[in-house]
Amino acid sequence: MSDDNGLWLLAIGPAGATALYWALYRYYRNTDKSHAFERETAVEAQPVTGSDEKIGENNGTRETSISGNNVSAYRTRVERVRDDAG
Amino acid sequence: MSNANSPPPLPPVTGPGSPQDVPPLLGSVPIDPATLPEAIREELLAPDPVAIDTSAAELKDGLNRCPKCGATDIRHKPGSDLLVCLYCRNEWQGARVEEEFGFGVGIGQLKGTVIASGARDIAADVASLMSFKCTGCGAEVTVNTDNAMTARCHWCRHVLGVNEQVANGAVPDAVLPFHIKKDDAVARIRQFVDKRRLFALKAFKEQFTPQNVVGVYLPYMIVDGNVSVEVAGQGEIQTREYTRGTGDKKKTYYDADVYQVERQVDFTVDDLPLESSTERGNLDTKTNTNNIINTILPFDTKNAVKWNASYLSGFTSEKRNTDVERLRPRLEDQLLSVGRAQVEASVSRYGRGVRWEQERLSVHGTRWVSMYLPVWLYSYHQPGSNGGMLHYIAVNGRTGETMGSVPVQQWKLLTAALTVGTFLEGIALWIMVGTS
Repeated sequence: MSDDNGLWLLAIGPAGATALYWALYRYYRNTDKSHAFERETAVEAQPVTGSDEKIGENNGTRETSISGNNVSAYRTRVERVRDDAG
Repeated sequence: MSNANSPPPLPPVTGPGSPQDVPPLLGSVPIDPATLPEAIREELLAPDPVAIDTSAAELKDGLNRCPKCGATDIRHKPGSDLLVCLYCRNEWQGARVEEEFGFGVGIGQLKGTVIASGARDIAADVASLMSFKCTGCGAEVTVNTDNAMTARCHWCRHVLGVNEQVANGAVPDAVLPFHIKKDDAVARIRQFVDKRRLFALKAFKEQFTPQNVVGVYLPYMIVDGNVSVEVAGQGEIQTREYTRGTGDKKKTYYDADVYQVERQVDFTVDDLPLESSTERGNLDTKTNTNNIINTILPFDTKNAVKWNASYLSGFTSEKRNTDVERLRPRLEDQLLSVGRAQVEASVSRYGRGVRWEQERLSVHGTRWVSMYLPVWLYSYHQPGSNGGMLHYIAVNGRTGETMGSVPVQQWKLLTAALTVGTFLEGIALWIMVGTS
């Protein structure tokens, strides 16, 4: 309702201030920069192989993407299966 | 506003805003500059220092004596890969290690761990101070390999260089000579800082003297690898989108099919650089700005030449203090990241994304070469708690890629942020009053 709408609008000020602060802070200090080895290393890859199997449905969700989506977060490590033989 | 009194906390070491993030594309700004005040916009949109392509660089090599006249007063000729004899002006080049030792071929057939002689483990009992008997006059000359690889005999003025590979990690397999001259580096640093003056610390601006930039050879391990990466997780494809409710209570819902996704890729990486100095490899942005030096990687390591101490005369150097085994966890982490980047395109049909849950790395073979890489470094020490912060501005000595950390004047930055925030809040209130 209009109350709901109004409260949401009130957040614009602090959110804008914080966003600008961090954008400028990173522009000056560059704390988020590092060697982009994923893009800048010469990699020769064989064709990707794999399997896709439907295991279920996720119906009636309000989220726009899968929970824990990490397809682009290459540097976020997940459970490591050790390969002792190799 | 809630953030009026205390500055927002520093970005965490991991997670958003840290070097553990996949870095944004060069020159990209998270906020559309067109929406910002003009003074800020001008800074953001000013041109960055240009990085040049040095892939056609000349080769070079050297003995510590001039092959023509035998003099030892040999220097690296700035802007080239040549060595020049300061006595007879003879110029000559060295052998590229790439061809000489066959680095760069056969990566796909690599098995096990191949370590070049300069990358061998560091023996604990080898001192970094080395003394030589000058062959010119017989005097004892000492070289501190922690920060230099040549010394001049103060009696007969012969130049002595550390050429023999000793087990203290100071002598690498190869060296990549400086290509960017000092004037050029100074200009790039000036250009970089000129883009960041509005909110820079006052003391930093007052003391800014880019002429004080120093050329440093930093130690790296250059790694080739032949690996396989397997990942498994779940992906979702949207099948339906619909809304329920009416008016203000209208909400959007989604239906999706869930898939078990597995991917496997074999790949080779060529010349992945890793810092082989413990200090430089520590990328904790709360305590240091080493991520700046990390960012100017990579170098055109294909053009590296066989070790010759004469390249280092006039420059300082930092000694390697990390062995192959100590670097292996970082290599594996980076290889897994590369693997995940490689499989991303193959899961593009999962419009709602993929949650990788397991990953496996099989390293079939690696090859390690130790190298000195050229960096122009400008530093500024910002006083503060815990010894303050050392801010670096670094220029890649080959490509000219420039990155830096400019200390900020907190009150100025906060004032600007609060002003913009107040302005936005004013608009929000105006809309609320108008609609209620």
